[in-house]
Amino acid sequence: MTSGVLNLVLKRLAIAVVTLLIVLFAVFFATSMLPGDTASILLGQAATPEAVAGLREAMHLNDPAILRFLRWLLGLLHGDLGTSYANEMPVAALIGGRFVNTMELAGITTLLSVPLALTLGITAAMLRGSLYDRTVTILSIGVISVPEFMVATLAVLLFAVYLKWLPALSSVNEAHTLTDLVRIYAMPVITLTFVISAQMIRMTRAAVIETLSTPYVEMALLKGASRGRMVLKHALPNALGPIVNAVALSLSYLVGGVIIVETIFNYPGIAKLMVDAVATRDLPLIQSCAMIFCLGYLLLITVADIIAIMSNPRLR
Amino acid sequence: MTDKITNWTSADDAMVENAIRRGASRRELLKMLLAGGAAVAAGSIVLGRATNAVAAEPVSGGTFKAAGWSSSTADTLDPAKASLSTDYVRCCSLYNRLTFLDKDGVTQMELAESFDSKDAKTWTVKLRKGVTFHDGKALTADDVVFSLKRHLDPAVGSKVAKIAAQMTGFKAVDKSTVEITLADPNADLPTILALHHFMIVQDGTTDFSKGNGTGAFVLQTFEPGVRSVVTKNKNYWKSGKPYLDSFEFIAISDDSARVNALLSGDINFAASINPRAMKLIGGQQGFELSKTTSGNYTDLNIRLDMDPGNKADFVAGMKYLVNREQIVKSALRGLGEIGNDQPVSPANIFHNPDIKPKAFDPDKAKFHFQKSGLLGQSIPVIASDAATSSIDMAVIIQAAGADIGMKLDVQRVPSDGYWDNYWLKAPIHFGNINPRPTPDILFSLLYASNAPWNESQYKSEKFDKLLVEARGSLDQAKRKEIYNQMQGMVSEEAGTIIPAYISNVDALSSKVKGLEANPLGGMMGYAMAEYLWLEA
Amino acid sequence: MARVAASPRSFLGHSYNLVGVVAALVILAWTLIAIFAPAIIPHSIGDIVDDDYFGPMRQGLWLGSDYLGRDMLSRVLMGARYTVGISLAAVAIACFSGVVLGMVAAVTGGWLDTCLSRFLDAMNSIPSKLFGLVVVAAVGSSIPALILTLAVIYIPGAYRFARALAVNINTMDFMTVARVRGESTAYLIGSEILPNIIRPVLADFGLRFVFIVLLLSGLSFLGLGLQPPLADWGALVRENIGGLPFAAPAVIIPSLAIASLTISVNLLIDNLPQKIRDRDT
Repeated sequence: MTSGVLNLVLKRLAIAVVTLLIVLFAVFFATSMLPGDTASILLGQAATPEAVAGLREAMHLNDPAILRFLRWLLGLLHGDLGTSYANEMPVAALIGGRFVNTMELAGITTLLSVPLALTLGITAAMLRGSLYDRTVTILSIGVISVPEFMVATLAVLLFAVYLKWLPALSSVNEAHTLTDLVRIYAMPVITLTFVISAQMIRMTRAAVIETLSTPYVEMALLKGASRGRMVLKHALPNALGPIVNAVALSLSYLVGGVIIVETIFNYPGIAKLMVDAVATRDLPLIQSCAMIFCLGYLLLITVADIIAIMSNPRLR
Repeated sequence: MTDKITNWTSADDAMVENAIRRGASRRELLKMLLAGGAAVAAGSIVLGRATNAVAAEPVSGGTFKAAGWSSSTADTLDPAKASLSTDYVRCCSLYNRLTFLDKDGVTQMELAESFDSKDAKTWTVKLRKGVTFHDGKALTADDVVFSLKRHLDPAVGSKVAKIAAQMTGFKAVDKSTVEITLADPNADLPTILALHHFMIVQDGTTDFSKGNGTGAFVLQTFEPGVRSVVTKNKNYWKSGKPYLDSFEFIAISDDSARVNALLSGDINFAASINPRAMKLIGGQQGFELSKTTSGNYTDLNIRLDMDPGNKADFVAGMKYLVNREQIVKSALRGLGEIGNDQPVSPANIFHNPDIKPKAFDPDKAKFHFQKSGLLGQSIPVIASDAATSSIDMAVIIQAAGADIGMKLDVQRVPSDGYWDNYWLKAPIHFGNINPRPTPDILFSLLYASNAPWNESQYKSEKFDKLLVEARGSLDQAKRKEIYNQMQGMVSEEAGTIIPAYISNVDALSSKVKGLEANPLGGMMGYAMAEYLWLEA
Repeated sequence: MARVAASPRSFLGHSYNLVGVVAALVILAWTLIAIFAPAIIPHSIGDIVDDDYFGPMRQGLWLGSDYLGRDMLSRVLMGARYTVGISLAAVAIACFSGVVLGMVAAVTGGWLDTCLSRFLDAMNSIPSKLFGLVVVAAVGSSIPALILTLAVIYIPGAYRFARALAVNINTMDFMTVARVRGESTAYLIGSEILPNIIRPVLADFGLRFVFIVLLLSGLSFLGLGLQPPLADWGALVRENIGGLPFAAPAVIIPSLAIASLTISVNLLIDNLPQKIRDRDT
């Protein structure tokens, strides 16, 4: 079986690389459709035709975009992410620290939200129709119906301004002790947990309910198996595929979608970096960020696919 | 000039204390102060507790953390490329300029000791002696020549290339004297050099990430798009300054988040807060507001050379349709001064207060629209968040139009690329102009026939002639007369409707002292760092 | 296993319960408001009627005033049109397309599955803000463009989930039997797979609806879709967020409106009338 799994993983990796290339080309194409280029945008109101032409020349932007893109791709193969157009710093240096920050935030949020969501989803499915189930449903839908910026702002108003328990800004570089870290991460993590849990809870619940209603589960019940055992041993393995997919989709948000949390808490992550990059049409930075987002997403769904395949004996 | 509040007298103290005891709100307090004849210096009010800071003694020490509103990976420490307030603040803390504008809009010397010229064409600048850069090298004429000349190089991408193009010759006469030759006479050269972009950097600098300047602070950390930290320059040539030990500057683009960060104590200073948050801060102990009206404005531009702007009646109708009081009241929440369709604001010494803005008159507007034959047609108006408050203004004008049967179709477009795609190009759109220190710069950039940013494509030979005449004349009285006339011409004839000059409000902790208003913008014209101190 | 909710009743051979009915009524109410909004709003949505901003609820301004001094009641009622209409249209397109494609991919397998999955995965990796900007640049902003953009952004997610479910079903014996019988793909997905995944798919639909309601306002901010003074509920929350510290109705009411709609949609989905004969009532 191990060689089977290995094959599977290798095949998935190859597919991932292909997908990555498609995404990079798509992002390049999308950006090139946007009006304006780095020179004219950096000059902003000061952009006269001569000034733009001069700056473009100095930044080597006169080569056709596709050529610059291919040059970047080539550099990528050598591990070089290129140099940012906007400030001439190496992209790797720009991304480096901020990527670590994003991973930290994502990691902590995952550790908190996934067990929470799975527990709530499974128990709600088991106790379907009960008050507990209804409450979980209403709360989870209610929570994600509140726009993210509102949750974050509310949290800041309550915990930072009014109660003064937590800092309003998540200044990662000022964290010296564990308590500092907890205080700094508390609100962003809670906000993000609110945002992504609902999808995991709802989908887990739906998938488990579905498997609970299949004949062989009824059979197991009739045979006298306890409810908990039945859920864990019979229902869950079959619901695993869809559940893992829902979890992967939710977590993929944590890499590139947390722009609002980064803005409100001033957290230096790479979501805002990407937004900046698009605004300045900074090709190497855009492509590098897009690559990271894509890799993150692909990693998650590849793991999800592998788990789904392995959990269903008929698919192996 | 007008009277200024420089010091509170004890009578003022008593009056304010009484009012506060009676439960006066900030708003009532303000009305009371203005009604009581506390006339204000051009564009400045400091709202705060009666025990005011101006008389207090500066205290050394402390870490100051301030937040601006925009920051991106394009942040730079190269003065030539500085484009956002964030860049200006950082540059002001690291470098110095030859001259600067004080709180009354008067040009003062900084790195220069004197400016001399007989014909306003050739200028001799004497530099201050004993000034050193952070790396120890002494300031010489070569540094000045390098700093100014580089603006002419297109590879540098200087934001003021057009303005700098006036300077055609630079000569380092000796170690501390520079001779600057202009293409045409321009009496404003000293004021022009007060622009933030003309900061003096060391001769030969190509890597600006070190922030090596002559300024009050030395660079410690710079992460573009994230933050900057600068520390006290112990060898600063202005002895005694700066007071602060260190100064950290970040940007929080979300308005509420910026205010909340101040209220929770995470930062000492929140720049440019939304007027609606003033209520929140005003009601809290330990915080103050500082308002500046500096000449920043958002204007509605109607291109006179395209449909429908080429119909004079349409433009006239629009000028009557804009309800300036309502805009200042509802869109700006009172944080603005009504404008009279010309760019020279009250903060500028050449402002002409006699030009009255066109009053809001829907009937006259309707009359003119009917005459132009455009009543009832759908007219697109482009607005964007890129131009401050333009969408709110557009909505107000749109509603007024709807009342008289005029269909103004407001199109909100992304801020992304706005200056590239819509500004100057669309037939009717909004623009936003930052304050400039002289009318000559404003008129040259915006209203001369060949101006690069002629928003309404206003062309008048007479205007161009007057512009050149005023520029070259060293006679202040004569210049004032000409500028008054030109302001009138713009107000009457151009297609740019300027409903108001937008005030900027900074919010700060009461522990921060020394903040004053400045005509170049909020945060003391972005130069606040070296003037502020923290109360113990 | 305690059931606290009202026990199912029967009506025309279907069972329903109170929760589902209430949810359906709320949705119906908002739909009616959406349809008749222009006729019932007391003020025009662009008119500034209050000198103050974030004004309290009072006579004549029943839901207070917004950040410019406009009547919130009118703006919320009109906003229903866009939130209900645009979101429903977009989520219907997204889920229908995603589910159909997911099922087809699961059943057909092979190259079609691989290509479709890769393509949609790639699409999911493109940040939605960038996508929105490109659409504005390419086709300008109009309501159909907005609906399609929203739908396209969420098709990959719906696809992935539906496919995962369908793949599981596909491995079951009755599917093999059906294939051996020679049934067409259309029959397989329509009559065999779909009924078995419909409930989780509907749960996904309900969730996507919430996402779209929220993303709608984000895109409008980019300039894609609703132009001032029109605004959907999400945009109302966004533009009045400054009133949050004052607990202004201007920001609370639209949030409650959104929550009421989204919670109702999801509760309805959970409590759809079911045929009593169904084995898992």
